Amino acid sequence: MNPTVKTRIKRFTPLQRVFHLFLMLTFLIQSATGLARMFVETSWGRNLGYLFGGYEASRTVHIYVGIIMLCGLALHIFYILFKINWRNFMSSLYGPDSLLFRFKDVRDLFQHVAWFFGLKKAPEFDRWGYWEKFDYWAVFWGMIILGVTGLLLAYQMAASRIMPGWGLNVALWVHRIEAILAMAHVFLIHFFVGHLRRHNFPMDRAMFEGSVSLDATRHERPAWIARLEQSGELDGVLVSEAMTAQRAIHYVIGFAAIAAGLYLFIGALMNVPYISW
Amino acid sequence: MDRIRSFQLWLAGVLLAGLILSGSTVSAQEEVASAVRRYKAYEASTGYYEEYEVLPRRQRPLIGVPNIRAGIFPYSPTVAKVRSRAHLADSHQGIRFYKGRQCADCHPAAATDIHTTRANLTCRQCHGDEPIASINYYWSPMNPIRRHAYVCAKCHEGASASYAAYVVHPPNPAMASTFKEFPVLAYSFWIMVAIAVGTFVLFLPHTILWGIREIFIKKKTKENKTIEPDSQNAD
Repeated sequence: MNPTVKTRIKRFTPLQRVFHLFLMLTFLIQSATGLARMFVETSWGRNLGYLFGGYEASRTVHIYVGIIMLCGLALHIFYILFKINWRNFMSSLYGPDSLLFRFKDVRDLFQHVAWFFGLKKAPEFDRWGYWEKFDYWAVFWGMIILGVTGLLLAYQMAASRIMPGWGLNVALWVHRIEAILAMAHVFLIHFFVGHLRRHNFPMDRAMFEGSVSLDATRHERPAWIARLEQSGELDGVLVSEAMTAQRAIHYVIGFAAIAAGLYLFIGALMNVPYISW
Repeated sequence: MDRIRSFQLWLAGVLLAGLILSGSTVSAQEEVASAVRRYKAYEASTGYYEEYEVLPRRQRPLIGVPNIRAGIFPYSPTVAKVRSRAHLADSHQGIRFYKGRQCADCHPAAATDIHTTRANLTCRQCHGDEPIASINYYWSPMNPIRRHAYVCAKCHEGASASYAAYVVHPPNPAMASTFKEFPVLAYSFWIMVAIAVGTFVLFLPHTILWGIREIFIKKKTKENKTIEPDSQNAD
């Protein structure tokens, strides 16, 4: 393979990949420490907790990593504010490169489902598919719910000054259900769509390498490529393949994350009957 | 005038900063200067624990007690007796064979909360020694007027009355009866469950169908070269 041939199209900037890597690592730590505490009545949960120094230490790690995640969210919001084109505010917000939902996404969803059953031609996706936009915004909603309830639970004394103590009972259940939803969504749906479906199998390298195959993208996201060709921007965003060693590292990180996620998900499912809620 | 105005602003700023920086005293802190000392002083007077109460978590025969089940009627006559005794100095007074029973024989659900299963607390560490007073008995340490200082602050230093409003033995949020007992918990629980179920009802079949559909797409060839599977426009 000639490394100088530009066969790939740039999809994520280095900073966006750093955000994803940060989220991936912190999310896995939060999942592991949270499950270690939830499953402390089982040997699986206790062993998981030992990785972080035990039951109490898992709580400490959970709290500090949670605060770091919230800082990451704040930084990401600043990043968005910086990235918005304030002179063309509306087109920046609702243009094809934006991650905000548009009416086309609803149309794409229905057409895509119809394509599953062979009833319609597949929709011509632009840069971001509706499922990717959902994943992106789910992180916002999840981190706000988990962050607020997590802070209330972490700093109970302070929390009980601004609300009655029984609010902590509510916060605990909201935190739990939202965390279970987030983990199940990431470990089942996000991993499958991003990594294991035939189109991306064995792994979508886009978030690590920053680029995707031009040929594959031309077929999966024809509207994006057509737009770039029409505006003459395509050549400017073409890049060459990463070096073999780099790709190997990407695969190791990606597969390690999938293995960790599946271990947590399957372990939790197997031990659900043995814990008291 | 400007100087007076700037002085007023400065004074207001100092007062505001003072209010923010000086935290208000928590009532329990006045009574319980040291949680450890208070705990020891209180516990020293209560005698000793039964052996079964201080064994490690997995060896305590408290959780999943057989033959104690709530039937169609919510309370057995014996339990009803206890439930109507919320103001007695000895809440278990007159209950037959009381000495031979363990707490979870009659209160199985109360032995499955977080304090019991995770913090490893025994019943008596909060409820005290015999006779166990009803929680609303005036002199009971569990009485809401002093619970925060006499019970919660043993472990949670600085616990306030508001903090002690935490429900240590919460009802199962999924049960219909919780809408009456603890409506905020029940509504929050079901709203969150609806969001979670809604997400999976939408995305789980979507993902499965997508995965299956991609298995059956044809590979397109271009100039005798096989290219990556076309997941979108094939067929």
